[in-house]
Amino acid sequence: MMTCMDRRAFIRQSLRTALAVAATGGLPAIDLLALPAHAAAQPPLAVRKGADIPILVRETIGALGGMNRFVHQGDIVVIKPNIGWDRTVEMAANTHPDVVASLVNLCLEAGARQVRIFDRSCNDERRCYTRSGIRAAVEKIASERVSLEYVDPRAYQELAIHGGRTFDRWEFYRPAIEADRLINVPIAKHHSISGLTLGMKNLMGVLGGNRGRLHANIAESLTDMASVIHADLTVVDATRILVANGPQGGRIEDVRNPQTLIASPDIVAADAYAATLFNFAPEDIPTIVAAARRGLGVMDLKRMQMV
Amino acid sequence: MKSSSWIYARRISQSLCLAVFLWLFLQTEYRGVDQLPYPVSLLFRIDPLAALADFLAPGPFGWQLLWPALVVLLLTLLFGRFFCGWVCPLGATLDGLGKLVGRGRRAYAPGWRRVKYYLLIALGTATFFGVQLLGLFDPLAIFLRSLTLAVYPAYNYGLNRVFDFFYEHQVPLLSALVKSAYPVFRDHLMAFYPPIFALSFFTLLIFVAIILLERIEHRFWCKNLCPLGGLLGLCARYALLQRTPQQLCSDCRECDSLCRSGAVRATGHLRSECLLCMDCTGFCPDERVHFAIRAGSRGHPGLDLQRRGILTAMAGGIMLVPAVRIGPVTHEQNPYLLRPPGAVPEEEFLQRCVRCAECMKVCIGRALQPALLEAGPVGLWTPLVVPRIGYCEYNCTLCGQVCPTGAIAPLKLPVKQKNIIGLAVIKKDRCLPYAKGIECLVCEEHCPTGEKAIILEERELLVDGGLRTLKFPRIVDRLCIGCGICETRCPVEGASAVRIINEGESRRKRPESLANPYG
Repeated sequence: MMTCMDRRAFIRQSLRTALAVAATGGLPAIDLLALPAHAAAQPPLAVRKGADIPILVRETIGALGGMNRFVHQGDIVVIKPNIGWDRTVEMAANTHPDVVASLVNLCLEAGARQVRIFDRSCNDERRCYTRSGIRAAVEKIASERVSLEYVDPRAYQELAIHGGRTFDRWEFYRPAIEADRLINVPIAKHHSISGLTLGMKNLMGVLGGNRGRLHANIAESLTDMASVIHADLTVVDATRILVANGPQGGRIEDVRNPQTLIASPDIVAADAYAATLFNFAPEDIPTIVAAARRGLGVMDLKRMQMV
Repeated sequence: MKSSSWIYARRISQSLCLAVFLWLFLQTEYRGVDQLPYPVSLLFRIDPLAALADFLAPGPFGWQLLWPALVVLLLTLLFGRFFCGWVCPLGATLDGLGKLVGRGRRAYAPGWRRVKYYLLIALGTATFFGVQLLGLFDPLAIFLRSLTLAVYPAYNYGLNRVFDFFYEHQVPLLSALVKSAYPVFRDHLMAFYPPIFALSFFTLLIFVAIILLERIEHRFWCKNLCPLGGLLGLCARYALLQRTPQQLCSDCRECDSLCRSGAVRATGHLRSECLLCMDCTGFCPDERVHFAIRAGSRGHPGLDLQRRGILTAMAGGIMLVPAVRIGPVTHEQNPYLLRPPGAVPEEEFLQRCVRCAECMKVCIGRALQPALLEAGPVGLWTPLVVPRIGYCEYNCTLCGQVCPTGAIAPLKLPVKQKNIIGLAVIKKDRCLPYAKGIECLVCEEHCPTGEKAIILEERELLVDGGLRTLKFPRIVDRLCIGCGICETRCPVEGASAVRIINEGESRRKRPESLANPYG
């Protein structure tokens, strides 16, 4: 946590001096407000707490108007959890399997024709899918309309990124692009460079190529990517969160249990609220700031419509 | 049993054994459970040469793993070289492919029969004195190694290209058919990740060469070169399963030209050479030939070994030792010589490893690659961790589970997670924050130890005339286990900016108090 505190102190200082602002690439909230946001002026945001995850998921999505608002009869839905690491549930490195399973059930109830679940993992996919508990949770649903899939290395497609600041093209996973609906389900975690890994960072799981190259300017890079791939709904799993040694974790001491779920059709709004669980302000997280400045969503907590 | 039905029985046995070994080969892969459910390295647990390597290596003999090899030897004492004719997958491959490549008709110079004994004696002597090269010539190791490093990767490559083609191009009828077959192949008949190995081509060349020897003489390898055949031949010399008639019949000389191992002579039946293929029970025009258990026998044609040859082979084996040992100590010369987790100290490792490639087959992250000269002149085909190709998966213990000779000890997961393969070292002239003032954290992000062995430290750096605050990765030596994921994932193109060296590896023997040479 020490590095986090240093960062906050650093950012406060940089806000005070215009010079530092310029040198660090511009983080201020001032010109942010001046920019017209393309996203909904007052995005709805649902935040709920509870120990029973299926009920928690149902309540949170219900507050946004129910899954029917996002998934329609006959849709092909992609649910993109974080299944990046070969870690068990209690280590808080991957999205909670019950969150994933509950969302799948809601999609099925809303009439989805097909629900596909995948992530391009960092450790061996087979191990990640199994140890995260997500394989077991999905198999338990036992529906022919649901599939937990390994990413197909042949299905990446290079797309142009219009107005990209760091990259003008990148490889994206076609099934995620082509789906009728994309539900982004990150777990909230500490991350050394982006500060936190939330919804924007979770979208890296549908990218091909050498993803390590994105880290050189992670805030702008993630914003570039998020401008191509649009999530219809972002559900931040904060039932457990990782406050240090992220994003992979591995120590139970680094795990906290806020038992919270955050959902919004606005990825920036969901991320911005999730940052507060770690005692950050949204403007402390460069990725959130960069995305808000480019109009991908709203980061000002006051401008969100809490439902 | 009708005499010719023995031939069918033999062929069925060969096919069955080959099928079992191939099936076990396909099961030598992570399939969702941490502990492999099948004895996938069975082929080497029944291998007397692997047992010999283990027996002559320091430390107690691995009874638990290798008792089946002793059963094979015992059975050979009773029945002769049944293993060669009925079980050996390389023998079955040669029998199966012989027709394809064309088969030599004539018996090659009979003197060549002795070569396998001399080779066995030379290798055995060298092994006794601490230089173990049995694995280079062990037919089972050759078979599995070729399969793992060359044949299976080629097979996967070919299939993948076919599936790719039909994925990218819509061919009427065919595309739908191929696509529907894909899931079955992907999940059961192909590797999860396309296997990639160094030395694939080299290994394939040797395998092909052994097959091409069929053109000179049927089972040339088995009869003339195979040291395992030699060992079993020695055991089979007084086997109780005997052939009648023992000699060539005076009215017919068919056996002399038709016996594939040239085991039927005017002086008697050479049980050391007979592969028990049972062909003679079929081709004998009068159906005179029978095999039966019988104690004692009339007339022993000897092994035909010459004392001079034996002594030369032994001397050759002994001379190998200094030839290998006078060079510099390889794992001190080559800091990038990394062995799998649980590997015993290097000298013992080389004595135990039979180069069977089981560990390389099972390795989940492609970390294990065969050595050419990286591990010295005798390290050929031994497994190396090559982190730029693949890393050692933190929660995986598979390589220790499959090693048949204890070269890689089977470690429980908590022990394995503390086992130090090496130490990560950052190359500051390549690492993005250090060398170019560009932010990067990929190594830190992937570091799997609970308390990360790579930490980021924030400092100011003068970049292009301006001060920039950057995070710099630093290795925490006391936490790093050298799994190599940082080296694999380092986004710098070409050579990685973080490399694993073998400093501080767990297997190196050192006094307790000096565990950390720098205090």
